Amino acid sequence: MYEIVIDRSLCSGFAACAELAPDVFEVDVGGKATVRVGRSDDPTVLDAAAACPMAAIQVIEREAA
Amino acid sequence: MTPRSVLVVGAGLAGARCAETLRAEGFGGDVVLVGEEPVPPYERPALSKELLAGTRTPDSLSLRPPDFWVDHEIALVLGQRVIRLDNVKHLAVTDRGARLPSDAVVLATGARPRNLPFAAPRGVHVLRTLGDALALQATLASARRLAIVGGGFVGAEVASTARGLGLEVTMLEAGEMPFAAVLGPDVGTLLADRYRRHGVDLRTKALAAGFRAHGSGRVCGIELADRSVVPCDAVLVAVGVEPERSLAVAASDIQLAGDAAGGPGHWTSAAADGVAAARRILGLDPLPTPAPFFWSDQFGLRIQLVGDARAAAAVEIDGHDSEFVARYWSTDGRLVAALAANRPREVAALRAELALAA
Repeated sequence: MYEIVIDRSLCSGFAACAELAPDVFEVDVGGKATVRVGRSDDPTVLDAAAACPMAAIQVIEREAA
Repeated sequence: MTPRSVLVVGAGLAGARCAETLRAEGFGGDVVLVGEEPVPPYERPALSKELLAGTRTPDSLSLRPPDFWVDHEIALVLGQRVIRLDNVKHLAVTDRGARLPSDAVVLATGARPRNLPFAAPRGVHVLRTLGDALALQATLASARRLAIVGGGFVGAEVASTARGLGLEVTMLEAGEMPFAAVLGPDVGTLLADRYRRHGVDLRTKALAAGFRAHGSGRVCGIELADRSVVPCDAVLVAVGVEPERSLAVAASDIQLAGDAAGGPGHWTSAAADGVAAARRILGLDPLPTPAPFFWSDQFGLRIQLVGDARAAAAVEIDGHDSEFVARYWSTDGRLVAALAANRPREVAALRAELALAA
């Protein structure tokens, strides 16, 4: 289980996250990324975090409850 | 071989992302980030907008909270300029006499704004650093008419902010319209019309030939090549930047990153470049290079461009002047770039469309 946190002050609307993992990330009307779901089992969230040029996405791995 | 210590010269975005990436990838040696500006790495894009408008403070622009650098054991050496690199002794010497040893050096010294080839009186500014922005802000506080030399993104963003502050703004563009080279004439015309509707006196094919100043030494006008004079009491010169490479030395163990490497000068590419330099130092495989990207906020428009529109042969605009998408096609009918204006939610899809076309 991955917990996803976005530092929206760093987000510059690059939108690579929403391209790579559209089920988890979306871009809001202000042009900043938001999480659709705060948790996911999909490891592509790791790719999305790595692709963020601003390192604005933090993925924390949690043991499934 | 992985070095034991890394010195990153330049504490802008590329330098910061390089230092952070070294740590994120588990590098355990010393990391020193040295920067000429007296402040930790900050969001440069906000300078022409929120900072200048006074809606954000300098402190709020910090890229990372102050504890971040301590927690990640990244030593910040700020307010010092590296003036010499000694390859033999693996030493960098700063203008304040500090001697910083390291096994590997990353030069992320950024770019410096170009100046006009004539002397500038008081009230004439460039905009690159926080110090520049605060100085421009102080001048604008007692100014009524701002003239901007250069119809690029910095100029357009400052024009937008200055109009918001109630100043009269004249924009001098050397070409037939702003952004013709980067965004094409169609989008350039659209933007030019928008600036004019927002009260900007946009003059095209206008070449600055000299400044005029009062006896007090403050600027009072710009003389153009056609001998006309644009009256003003503040000037921003925004005619592009040059890579800052006064330190660049040929040595295989020195990496260049960010604007100093002569990249496109975009915020996100500087970030990616800093990451790439760190990965090279650590011997890690490079990450895939994302399509070039930049954004600009001006006159109520958020412009986001993915890809490189300079080589496009045709453009197709969908929407109207305050909300549109422009697709740029090459001569062989391939999508090479896409621009979203006030359509931020479409950027991810456009990015995917471009990736398919590549």
